[in-house]
Amino acid sequence: MIQETFDVIVIGGGPAGASAAMEAAGAGLSVALLDEGVDAGGQVYRAPVSGTGASSGQPDGEIGDALRQNLASSTVTCLFGHRVWLVEQGFKLHALGSEGPVSLQADRLVVAAGAQERHRPIPGWTLPGVIGLAGATNLLKSQKILPGQRTVVAGSGPLLLLVAQSILKGGGELAAVIDANGRTDWLRRLPAMMARPRLMARGTKWLADLVRAGVPLYSRHALTRIEGSDEVTGVTLAPIDDEWRPDHTAQVSLSCDAVCYGFGLMPATAITRLLGARHAYDAATGGWSAVTAPDGATDIPGLYVTGDGAGISGADAAISLGRITGRAVAVSLGRSTPATGALMKEAGRAARFGQSMTGLAMPRDGIMEAATPDTIVCRCEGLTRRVLDEAIDAGSRTLNGLKSATRCGMGPCGGRVCEDSAAALIAHRTGLTRQDIGQATARPPLRPMPLGQLAGEFNYSDLPMPEPAPQ
Amino acid sequence: MPKDLRTDPELASRPSFHFTFEGHPVLAYAGETVATALWAAGLRILRHGPGDGGPRGLFCTMGLCQECVVSIDGQATEACRFPATEGLDVRAGR
Amino acid sequence: MTPLDPSQRYDLAVIGGGIMGCAAALTAAQGGLKTVVIEKSELGSGASGVNAGTLSLQIKRVKLMPYAIKGHEIWEHAGDKVGFRRTGGLTLAFTEAEAERLTTYMAMKKEAGAPIEMKSPAEVADMEPGLNKGVVLASYCGEDGYANSSMTGVYYRKRLSDAGITAFENLAVEGIDRDGGFVLKTARGVIRAKRILISCGGWVKEVAAMVGVDLPVRVRINTVSVTERCAPVVSHVIGHATGLLTLKQKANGTVLIGGGWQGRGTPAEGRGEVVADSLLTNIRLAQFAVPALGSCRITRIWTGFEANVPDFYPLAGALDGVPDAFILACVRGGYTIGPYMGHLMGQLILGGQPEMPLFDPNRFAVPDATAASAS
Repeated sequence: MIQETFDVIVIGGGPAGASAAMEAAGAGLSVALLDEGVDAGGQVYRAPVSGTGASSGQPDGEIGDALRQNLASSTVTCLFGHRVWLVEQGFKLHALGSEGPVSLQADRLVVAAGAQERHRPIPGWTLPGVIGLAGATNLLKSQKILPGQRTVVAGSGPLLLLVAQSILKGGGELAAVIDANGRTDWLRRLPAMMARPRLMARGTKWLADLVRAGVPLYSRHALTRIEGSDEVTGVTLAPIDDEWRPDHTAQVSLSCDAVCYGFGLMPATAITRLLGARHAYDAATGGWSAVTAPDGATDIPGLYVTGDGAGISGADAAISLGRITGRAVAVSLGRSTPATGALMKEAGRAARFGQSMTGLAMPRDGIMEAATPDTIVCRCEGLTRRVLDEAIDAGSRTLNGLKSATRCGMGPCGGRVCEDSAAALIAHRTGLTRQDIGQATARPPLRPMPLGQLAGEFNYSDLPMPEPAPQ
Repeated sequence: MPKDLRTDPELASRPSFHFTFEGHPVLAYAGETVATALWAAGLRILRHGPGDGGPRGLFCTMGLCQECVVSIDGQATEACRFPATEGLDVRAGR
Repeated sequence: MTPLDPSQRYDLAVIGGGIMGCAAALTAAQGGLKTVVIEKSELGSGASGVNAGTLSLQIKRVKLMPYAIKGHEIWEHAGDKVGFRRTGGLTLAFTEAEAERLTTYMAMKKEAGAPIEMKSPAEVADMEPGLNKGVVLASYCGEDGYANSSMTGVYYRKRLSDAGITAFENLAVEGIDRDGGFVLKTARGVIRAKRILISCGGWVKEVAAMVGVDLPVRVRINTVSVTERCAPVVSHVIGHATGLLTLKQKANGTVLIGGGWQGRGTPAEGRGEVVADSLLTNIRLAQFAVPALGSCRITRIWTGFEANVPDFYPLAGALDGVPDAFILACVRGGYTIGPYMGHLMGQLILGGQPEMPLFDPNRFAVPDATAASAS
């Protein structure tokens, strides 16, 4: 087992984590960077599959390639393909790589775990052929594969346009793009979007491409059902009101063989919850996240959060945010670094755009009316809305209470897919706020871990056995 | 014959090989994950979930949701994170 | 936050809505006391709800065996509502030293009333083919099994509600004043009661201090792990001669692994932390006992606080010097024994003689100087 001490450990090799790591290393600190992916870049700047050449031509690709090159020529110790499964206070970090278990220790920990997609349950959303919008970008950009022969793209936020445009570019057919937001919702974000004219222009061009290709665009609509017995064969959609409640009397059906479906991003908080950092709920930055100072410092000494994990600011802000945090960590360990004023300004501008998109994507709780009593909410445990409603009515009014009453969120995904929807269900049913409902307690391992691989090689006679308790 | 879902213009220059899913050969290209190759082959039902016993498959594509967990050479594994290689014995998950 | 009704006055306020507090409340209310349960989190969310759910007579202390047998009967009666299963239990020895210890201990427990018999390696291999073939001796108890501890809260919430007992959840008692009875201070106002029962597990020391009683309570932080749904690997509850392993496969295929391996943290912080070194020994022991577990994936590891006193026997009775204050805590094997201990405590609070003796909570009090000179 590798066991090493560093000045700083960074979890997550996306733009924020990689930038923080390089900045801290540049100030003379020993830095370890861990990521479960095969290379740096995270989700947005993910390296394409090997053998398909560079991320040629794509602006995101060039940023990712530059990030990977700079990291490779830095002094950062990179542990890719390593899944962190436990972080103990202080900080002791345990990961599993292809060579076996690894334990690292550092006084400073930077969590750059990024974001995960927010979902909402509807009948049929568990059918094979339904993938997340974030998942679809991964398939399209990194794995270079279309989601289907004829795809519906639905949900909310900027990923709708990104996924739809990528499908067109890859020669795929779009059955429809279904946006829960209307024209006025987008227009309202216009001033904030102006902070990033390049990104706004790109989005506008994508939209024009869709219109030119004759793709049916449904705005202020949402899916109410995904059809199919074994796999996706179609969808039903309906107009929604201001609270995103579907009007079931005005449904439309379309045929398709794949659905890309999601409702924006939320910060990944499992590690900071595990370490007991203070969290707060803010819809403008994607929901719950650790409370951080502008430089990423949390209320736990030595623990920093940077990038989308500290509240969704977008990939464009992540590099600046990561560099700010990297410098803050270096300063906390007595190193001198350049002033961060310009970086702060740059991050602020980029975050303004990112946060406007985050707010746009944030689903209203009326969308829960698309989930019928038989709709599965917790995929891992196969729990339906009916089971959760009954538990809520019987008195389970917090996420932890609902979890222990029903097992919602206790399966292999650790609640990452269902907990936000379960909270929406409690809120929709009781009127309680997200603060009342709370977060679920995070439990290790941070990813499911094969027991034998964690156990590794050992001799029975070497196991340290304490004296048995009195009989 | 449905159109191939792979969009890489340089596909022909990438090495290809086979692994098996439930004993049947599946074509894969270098750099693909097990999940991608199965998806491209139209094999989207990877397991059946608890509760309704309904079919499940690839969903998040990044190792979070656990919906694409299959057995690869006897070990429960996320198909979306596992690089496809020649000769893998892939079975439907539990 | 809805304020409480300050005009309410209860006969009994139970502080801590775990198994023992709820069970005592049920007996007290049945005897006619107007009872309220106050829980700082959710009912059954402490040790009652996060323990490994093992119902094993083999791992109970000799002196507590009669209570454990009664507790076992109560859980069996609750049946599906708490996920009760009688699977039989095997406790394994892999070395001669472990076998010797197992033989001695199990003879004592058999003497105390547990129907335990010893099994040879061949018999064990026949009963449970998935075990390591290196077993040198095992003990077997047909009564052993498990229940689902995470169902505790839902089970008692329903029972309290059916019995007309008020339960305040997510409400912490922040201080206790006297006014002839007790005035419990909370964020939503005060709760008045003639009697109190302190039954708040890992937090019992802090709450006893609110009525001026200092108890030598320490807290253990036990670790439990669970795997995802796996193909069948074992059909019995499995233990180890040292008591450092409990292992069972639930009906849904998940395998629960415990054994009292220690995490880190304090009840005051409200959270326990998994310690890798401790956990890894626990799962190595599990994999050694059941080799097929190696390919199962662990999906969740958690900790729970277990309070104890130096002699590891319960605190169960009236507190000296604080009239009408009772305590019930530190019951080792409390998941199995708890519902019966709670029932006995209810009988005591009602003013009767409990059907089995309780455990004087004042036994650790240092006799003060005046008491010593008077004798």
